[in-house]
Amino acid sequence: MKRQVVAAAVALAMGSTLAACGSASENSGDGGEGGPIKVALIPPTSGALAQFGTDAVKGWETAVRLANEAGGVDGREIELIVKSTDADPATTLRVAKEAVTQDGAQFIGAVMTSPEHAALNAQLEGLGALSFNALGKDDALVGEQCSPYAFHVVQTSSMDINALASSLSELPGDKWAIQAVDYATGHGAAEKFKAAAEEAGKEIVLEQFAPLDTTDFGSYITKIKDSGADAVFAVEYGADGVAFVQQADQFNLDNQLETVLGFNMVSEPLFETLGDTIEGYFNNVGYDVDGDNTENQEFVDAYTEDHGAAPYYVPADNYLAAQTLFAGIEEAGSADPADVSEALGDLSFDSIVGAVTVRAADHQVLRDSYLGEVVKDGKALKFSIQSNATPDVTTPEPDSACSM
Amino acid sequence: MNAAQVLNGVALGSLLMVLSSGLAMIYGLRGVANFAHGALYMSGAYIAYTVSDRFNFWLAILLVPLALAVIGVVLELVFFRPLQHRSHIELGLITFGLALMAERIVVLIWGERTLRVTPPEILQGTTTLLGVEYPTYRLSIIVIALALAAALVLWLRGSRVGLHIRAASQDIETAGIMGVNVDRVSLIVVSLGCALAGLAGTLAAPYIALDPGMGNAFLITVLIVVVVGGIGSIGGAMVAGMGLGVIQTVSTVWSPSFAVVVPYLALTIVLLWRPTGLAGKRVS
Amino acid sequence: MTTTAPLDDITESMLEGPAPGRRPRGTLIGLGVGVVVLFAGLAVPYVITDTYRMSLLLDATILSLMALGIGFLARHLGQISLGHGAFFGVAAYGVGVATTNWGWSPTAAVGFAVLAGTAISLVMGVLVVRASGFGFLMLTLALSQALYSLSVQTSARPLTGAHDGKLLSYDREMTFLGLTQADVMNPGLFWPFAWIALTACAMVLWLVGRSPFGTTLEGIRENEERMRFSGYDTFLPRLTAFVLSGAVASLGGALFAINAGYVSPEILGFTTAGDSLIAALIGGFGMLAGPVLGTFLFVYAQANFNFGGNLHLFTGIALIVVLVFMPGGITGAFQKLWRRVRRSRR
Repeated sequence: MKRQVVAAAVALAMGSTLAACGSASENSGDGGEGGPIKVALIPPTSGALAQFGTDAVKGWETAVRLANEAGGVDGREIELIVKSTDADPATTLRVAKEAVTQDGAQFIGAVMTSPEHAALNAQLEGLGALSFNALGKDDALVGEQCSPYAFHVVQTSSMDINALASSLSELPGDKWAIQAVDYATGHGAAEKFKAAAEEAGKEIVLEQFAPLDTTDFGSYITKIKDSGADAVFAVEYGADGVAFVQQADQFNLDNQLETVLGFNMVSEPLFETLGDTIEGYFNNVGYDVDGDNTENQEFVDAYTEDHGAAPYYVPADNYLAAQTLFAGIEEAGSADPADVSEALGDLSFDSIVGAVTVRAADHQVLRDSYLGEVVKDGKALKFSIQSNATPDVTTPEPDSACSM
Repeated sequence: MNAAQVLNGVALGSLLMVLSSGLAMIYGLRGVANFAHGALYMSGAYIAYTVSDRFNFWLAILLVPLALAVIGVVLELVFFRPLQHRSHIELGLITFGLALMAERIVVLIWGERTLRVTPPEILQGTTTLLGVEYPTYRLSIIVIALALAAALVLWLRGSRVGLHIRAASQDIETAGIMGVNVDRVSLIVVSLGCALAGLAGTLAAPYIALDPGMGNAFLITVLIVVVVGGIGSIGGAMVAGMGLGVIQTVSTVWSPSFAVVVPYLALTIVLLWRPTGLAGKRVS
Repeated sequence: MTTTAPLDDITESMLEGPAPGRRPRGTLIGLGVGVVVLFAGLAVPYVITDTYRMSLLLDATILSLMALGIGFLARHLGQISLGHGAFFGVAAYGVGVATTNWGWSPTAAVGFAVLAGTAISLVMGVLVVRASGFGFLMLTLALSQALYSLSVQTSARPLTGAHDGKLLSYDREMTFLGLTQADVMNPGLFWPFAWIALTACAMVLWLVGRSPFGTTLEGIRENEERMRFSGYDTFLPRLTAFVLSGAVASLGGALFAINAGYVSPEILGFTTAGDSLIAALIGGFGMLAGPVLGTFLFVYAQANFNFGGNLHLFTGIALIVVLVFMPGGITGAFQKLWRRVRRSRR
């Protein structure tokens, strides 16, 4: 052992004497003047979120294709650098640093979860890169975790739940049971829902929380059945949501219910897995694929051409993120992150979801939110938009904890 | 109400029972804690998904245990037998490596999405039992599992092979000296254990959503069940499995946060108080 | 000469280590080498000017502390622990809570965190050390999983942030031994602390291994019953070894939290502990350098080998290959080769 260690030590010593005296670790990363504008995408490529990661990248790809075909943004071509992560914030941070320092990216997109964004936001100024969040909905990201270099393109959880609350009186059912995931967003949603329900004159007969990764909802469903509820507000994500819906079906829960209202539970990627069980379910919808404006139609056509299927909220929100970035670059007349960041403050532009504004105080993009019902369209399922809530109704005032 | 909750517990307990009896058999005979058991269960569920998608669910119940038994044969011939002089911990770590590989391979074949299997027509819907409307499918799981458990115990107690298995599990060297063909018995036990894991996976598929994390989630629980039930005791594992399933489900009703810690609590208490497990050294 | 270890513990083939010989001169030479390595290592940031590679080296160094703890336990106690993630994680969260919730300075927080992690290892050790083999493994696994479950409870949210994890925040004026919050995230600047911690811990553990205490541990590893019959108390030495390995892992966790600025519950779970165990095993338990080497390889592989989630596929394969063909790990294989070369020279 001694000899091996001695050998290693000698090698290290030799190496250090031979090396030039550079100072330790400098940041490289100087976007070439006039060269392509580089955007790093860091989607998750493993785990349950992998599908969303792939679709997020697709949204960006279509946006970049259209932009480059139209002559680029501010005369420069956009180049996408697609990386990958496992959704662990430590990994994502490492990859982001690599993208900025090795690959010269100045903008970051397609990062998925709120914890990743929280960790990333803290480092953005140091990295000198802007991040466009089209997927992480946590309120804190425009609150105490905000950053002058981060832009929140998707609705926050508060905006989503406020949108639902405003349409609550239209939904049938008077005795509501709340089934939520034992997670920050689950509790937050439950609280807001209760307040809205009381205002709409509904009664809450049961409120229960299931830990994340619950596979057996039997006890919860049994309790709902016994509570005499005639409507359910369900906040269960991903695999939990699928298990819940499937088991509710087996217990014949739908028989006694007039409405099932999901919150971020029933979404297009799950339609095939969930099948006809969810026909008639309601859910909050962030993006209306049938949106009647030229930007959206151009997007839907281009996306369908590129990827063979119509877009849903994940690629759409990422396309919107791209649009926001491009609008900022055009407005600033430069691709320097600091300039773009400043230009985006209070900028309004036309997008696939209509006219939107980037609020300067917390960098939240102000946009509409919808309530949708799952209906059958031929053999497939789709959302039929029931009502539309505008940002002045849904968006809370900027959080004072956010300091830019 | 309470009848339904108890039935929920019994349903979960039945699954645990089937899964843990397989693990207990392998552990009892080979002394190896099969860390790949969760992955075997998951593979069974995913294969069942494909089979019932293409053909039907009944075929899956038949085919999947057979497929897993074949995997068991490979496991025994390639790993357990040639390396039997190595320590049990090392063999356990090898199965850990196999589990890592298997989980990734399943994802590579079936993807990361959550999948769903619908139970066959006759088992859909609910039945009224004890004054409660209860999903028929879950009742069928309970029935199948209990029948299987009874058959297994009877076979172990009554048949010649069963006698050999019990002997070899007790003391493999002496059994070999007494004329038991230990290699053959091992082969039977390991492939049977794997087949049981596959069966549990098939039964679970319409019950729980299929997702790549399902193996890991159950693995720790099942390992705990086997240790609590008694090292190598199949009957003990069954009782512990059913017991843990019921206790965990019922405590979910009162306090979901507490329910999560129940298995760990049980393990710690048992290992400290009775390190050989509840059933001690008895094999069946 | 040696009796066979109980079939439940690791076999001697895994502990392929240097030939025994505890002469004081050997200890002095070893210490000298250690000091040279320490100083040589401090030069690394001047050789590697690339931030990305530097951060990889830093990550590996910090994680090596956990692997070092696991390896020490395996080598000297003959037990495999899957619970070291608990100490690493508790220390990391300790730093988080002390700085963010209580407003302490990072330096004080690190001190507190190491104490907290060590305390947890004491509690776990008392429960676990009487068991051996599979029971030991299961208990360490179960206890650390229990800690993980507790940390993701909503009730724990103010302390741990539950599933969202904890972002560290402390006053911009407060420094960690002279480095500001921005500096500690710079791998080149943080490197000396991590490297010194690693080499210091390695030297301490090495010395402990060569001391009379180490000989006692080895005796217990070989045949616990005989040691007890010879009049030795086996509980305290084992507990001490366990706590020592836990303390080393805790130091790693504390440094990790300061550097990353963010703690997520995954580090408490058994996937992280499992990865560290596999890395230590592949490196080889026979030498203290083994787990460190294994961890560096693991971090390198994680960064480079097609991260489509395929990392665990390769880790699994590597684990099996090593266990079947090279149970002593990479350093064990070197040792064997070295001995063969020496023997053929005579």
